[in-house]
Amino acid sequence: MTPLLKLSSIKRFFGAIYALKGVDFEINTGEIMGLVGENGAGKSTLVKIISGFDNGYTGSFALNGSEVRFANPSRAERSGIAIAQQELSLIPSMSVAENIFISGDSVPAIATRSALARKAAPFLEEVGLEDVDALMAVNRLSVGEQQLVEVARLLAQEPQILILDEPTAALGESDSIRILAMVKRLAERGKSIIYVSHRMDEIFKVCDRITVLRDGESQIPQTASKLNVASLVELMLGRELVNMFPVHGDVTSDQPLLEVRDLWPDGTLEPFNFAVHPGEILGLAGQLGSGSGDALAVIGGAKSSRDGEILYEGDVFLPTSPTEAIARGIAYCSDDRKVDGLFLGRPILENMTSPALKSFSRFGIIDQKKEREQALSNGEKFTVDVSRMDAEAGVLSGGNQQKVALGKWLAINPKVLLVNEPTRGVDVGARAEIYQKLRDLANEGTAVIFASTDIQEVAGLADRVISFYRGMQVGEIVKDQITAASILQQITHPFDDVPQKPEMAE
Amino acid sequence: MYKIKSWVIENHDLAFAILLAICVYGYFALTNEYFATHRTGFAIMERFAVLGLVGLALTLCIIAGEIDLSIGSNAALAAVIVVRFTDSLGAFPALFIAVSVSTLIGTIQGYFIAYLRVRAIVLTVGTLMLLRGVALFVAQEKTVMLTDFRVPDFISTKMMWYFSPASLLVIAMFVVVGLFMSYTRYGREIYAIGGARKEAVAAGIDLKRPMVIVFAISGLCAGLGGCIIGLRSGTAQALGLQYVLLAGTVAAFIGGVSILGGKGGVIGAAIGTLTVNFLNTGLVFNVTPAFMVQLYLGVLLMIVIMFQTGSRFFDDYQRRQQILFDVDARKAPLLARKAESLKRKNNIQFG
Amino acid sequence: MSAPITQPTPNWLDRMVRDYSAFVVALVAAFVVIFFIGMATAPNFLTLFNLKTIIRDAALVGIMAIGLTFVTLSGNFFLLSLKETAALSIVAFATSMSAGYGFEISFLFTMVIALISGVSQGVLIGLGGNPIVVTLGAAGLLFGLGSFWSDNLVISFRRPHGAEWLGTGSFLGLPNITVAFILIAIAAEMTLRYTTFGRQVYLIGANRAAGKATGHENFGMAIKTCAIASVCAAFVAIAFSAQFSSAHVNYFSSEFGSSGDMTIMVIATVMVGGNSIMGGVRVKSALQFWRGVYLDGGQYDGFAWLQLGP
Repeated sequence: MTPLLKLSSIKRFFGAIYALKGVDFEINTGEIMGLVGENGAGKSTLVKIISGFDNGYTGSFALNGSEVRFANPSRAERSGIAIAQQELSLIPSMSVAENIFISGDSVPAIATRSALARKAAPFLEEVGLEDVDALMAVNRLSVGEQQLVEVARLLAQEPQILILDEPTAALGESDSIRILAMVKRLAERGKSIIYVSHRMDEIFKVCDRITVLRDGESQIPQTASKLNVASLVELMLGRELVNMFPVHGDVTSDQPLLEVRDLWPDGTLEPFNFAVHPGEILGLAGQLGSGSGDALAVIGGAKSSRDGEILYEGDVFLPTSPTEAIARGIAYCSDDRKVDGLFLGRPILENMTSPALKSFSRFGIIDQKKEREQALSNGEKFTVDVSRMDAEAGVLSGGNQQKVALGKWLAINPKVLLVNEPTRGVDVGARAEIYQKLRDLANEGTAVIFASTDIQEVAGLADRVISFYRGMQVGEIVKDQITAASILQQITHPFDDVPQKPEMAE
Repeated sequence: MYKIKSWVIENHDLAFAILLAICVYGYFALTNEYFATHRTGFAIMERFAVLGLVGLALTLCIIAGEIDLSIGSNAALAAVIVVRFTDSLGAFPALFIAVSVSTLIGTIQGYFIAYLRVRAIVLTVGTLMLLRGVALFVAQEKTVMLTDFRVPDFISTKMMWYFSPASLLVIAMFVVVGLFMSYTRYGREIYAIGGARKEAVAAGIDLKRPMVIVFAISGLCAGLGGCIIGLRSGTAQALGLQYVLLAGTVAAFIGGVSILGGKGGVIGAAIGTLTVNFLNTGLVFNVTPAFMVQLYLGVLLMIVIMFQTGSRFFDDYQRRQQILFDVDARKAPLLARKAESLKRKNNIQFG
Repeated sequence: MSAPITQPTPNWLDRMVRDYSAFVVALVAAFVVIFFIGMATAPNFLTLFNLKTIIRDAALVGIMAIGLTFVTLSGNFFLLSLKETAALSIVAFATSMSAGYGFEISFLFTMVIALISGVSQGVLIGLGGNPIVVTLGAAGLLFGLGSFWSDNLVISFRRPHGAEWLGTGSFLGLPNITVAFILIAIAAEMTLRYTTFGRQVYLIGANRAAGKATGHENFGMAIKTCAIASVCAAFVAIAFSAQFSSAHVNYFSSEFGSSGDMTIMVIATVMVGGNSIMGGVRVKSALQFWRGVYLDGGQYDGFAWLQLGP
């Protein structure tokens, strides 16, 4: 059977660096092909080429047996290839319907907003957003819903080949399941889907074959049923990854290092109370919207709260701004480094020293030598490639960017480190490095609290878990009782013994 | 009543602009007996014809996330062309040539901005100067004048007390452009590339089309405006009309555009221009010296700033209240379930 | 990780900036801007203006441009009120001089007025006000105040006066005002490269949200940068007034001498030459900047009007 799409010997270089060194890729009609690889392996570059966003490659690109070359995404879309990218491409102030029909051939030239809303209805239903008002501005939707609108836009273009780049990155459990079901349905109807993801469980649930990219080169596509997670990871890394998570730590004292009392972030249902002890990593588990991340944001001074206080080293306080939090030695790293975690256009050096600028300067003048030393040493601790200290942060891969976003906080010698989604958009190799570093920090006496929607991550990294559900703190899981199953139970059906009245979807 | 209230809250910037326009008009109408007359109204609309076009053009540019600094020079060039060639070719052909030239200039600028990916503010700083030189050349460094001043009188014929062919044409343009921006995909593209340029490009929008459209319209407006002024007064100076840039920008901001792009509309442009016009005309009536007009314009703008800044704080406050309200409404059933669940666990333990 | 890095090889302009320091480029850029405006607006340009005037004009525009660069680099767009700040300042200075207060006091007095106007605008911008709108409004207010104060008349003060050295003096063959420009350019460059404040300017300009998250708020920055720009405008006004021993609120307006709209010229200079003052890791050449930014796919940041840097 001739593949529907066949790429051969695709090379793409930027300046002197090869992003793709000779990649082969193919997909058949009605097939779901998984595309996996570490950050920097070339996945994004490849899908940009396939979808017409990048025209600067060499090699063969055959669609339905004939050679093609797309000058821009519109041409690709006309030929039946459409992509839902990882970066948000929704216009925040415009309505859902207008965003679905913003570009492409299926967009009518003249239409009222209500007409567009009517046209959008079937596609919204397909992704599970039938209850959403299509005339509402997308910036009023949750991140998960926004992601679904992106997929709806993709569907509206009625493509033959769909590319989904990390479609479930911002989605909770139920929405992810919905997406997977949709993907299966589309494949049954004869569509081909290229599914790019870091989530192994999803890859195995839905893909027929898997193509692995490693360092700009492709492997022969593997049949999914013949692989397991370990072997797939080995193909991705070219080596065995024995332990993702470091050994769990031991609490060194019963006296809490940091206590959170009656903290009531805006948008949550009732106040939170918890504490973290020296030597332990505390994990806050919960789905999107459960309030776990909000708690950290409030402690870090980045979000407002109706009430509450922190007890630390005898002081009772609540920071009202990040500046205040930093002054207290509290470091807060948000879940979206692109928004406020990094200065992408500035050198890595400046990023690494940004929170503690004043400590490198006397009388307002920066001590450049001292600054560089600190940045290099902190960088090394987080295994950032320090030879590139003067390059812009924007050129780093996702994993390295996250390391910089986290590592920069070492500059203030934080007593408390709060991290929201410590490894979002980070590949397997870098993840292990980040986990190890968080472990080291906790062992050295820093209070480490992290929030994550990734159950495996919480189970693997946390010594103790506090679980959250829809804006309420619902439970605590200690040491040996921490398993993926127990966490899942608490964050999705904590009140399972009480009969549930039918309610609105989350 | 509720509908009006919710519209006001949704579009508070526009609502405030309307309120401001009414206040300014009202002030002058009450303090000067000649202000609220047909004649003044006519004069205001005549002024509106030119400033309205510029306000419209700049509103569109700012919505698209750019600015056309050369609009004044483009208009001056058109004025020079139309005045220079009316004698030999007649008013209409000269008009046609002038407007064609200015529209073409705008189109080329738009193309370069999209194709070379230069920021419009950078490119138009250059064309601002370049076009002035061209205008000087066409005018042969003199002030150009018509020989027969009656030829273009037709554009100022009074119609329906307040209007003339010129102002009616401009109103028609407002309507057409307004419909275009609200109901076509090309208009939506312009909003998209303004408010969220990165996202728009990621969504597959080709910058060339909306950019060319916006600057072509800007050129068209500049050309029309320049011609109207040129024909109306019968003279044209190559270095004139520079004030329209500032006046138009002020009008656009009063009408509610955002410096970040993606926000604003044609109606706002009209209201903003009218407000500036009311102020200008009213002050002239009160025999205010020219520098004081600047002062009042500054004050007017400050009022708008205060309002827009205040409304932003209000918006944030509203949003917070909304979140808290939502939460309070939602929590009762969930907390009840939680309490139930705890009670059961306790009963099981002790029971 | 095999993520691609691109480091452009430095071209001749980059090397020139690196070797001779950015102020040379800024001066050249300001010069070029004035030159071209002159060419475009007055065909017999070369006879009307002699070289000294060009250099003087370039220095005046240049100093204001340096002040404005701080505002722009910090992400606060532009101040459209610099011309009018200069107008008010020149009236203030001349009024004080003609009242007999001497150079030092008049200088201080003018600076205080400029500082107040700069800080006020900075506060409004820092609170979230739209910089273009705020400064447009301020421009009208400042100009109006200046006209009102001077009754729209020319104010002159007698020679000899304490400001002669600034206005007409020279040092090693260059007019003092040009020397001042060079010194100010060097000071600005130093500040941006080596001080905490300078670093904050870049950081907040690069990403305001990240700046806030790491303890650098824009509120203070807006005030400081607006103050700097206003003070530069006042300095220019004082120098100008010193040269003619007089002042009129219209001295900086288009109708009077000078080659064009000063606000536009200052902004143009920031766009063309100010970018080179940026220093730092990658110095983008002015030419590269004029061709816009090309990063595969095109990256546009949140400031829809402006693209300084990568």
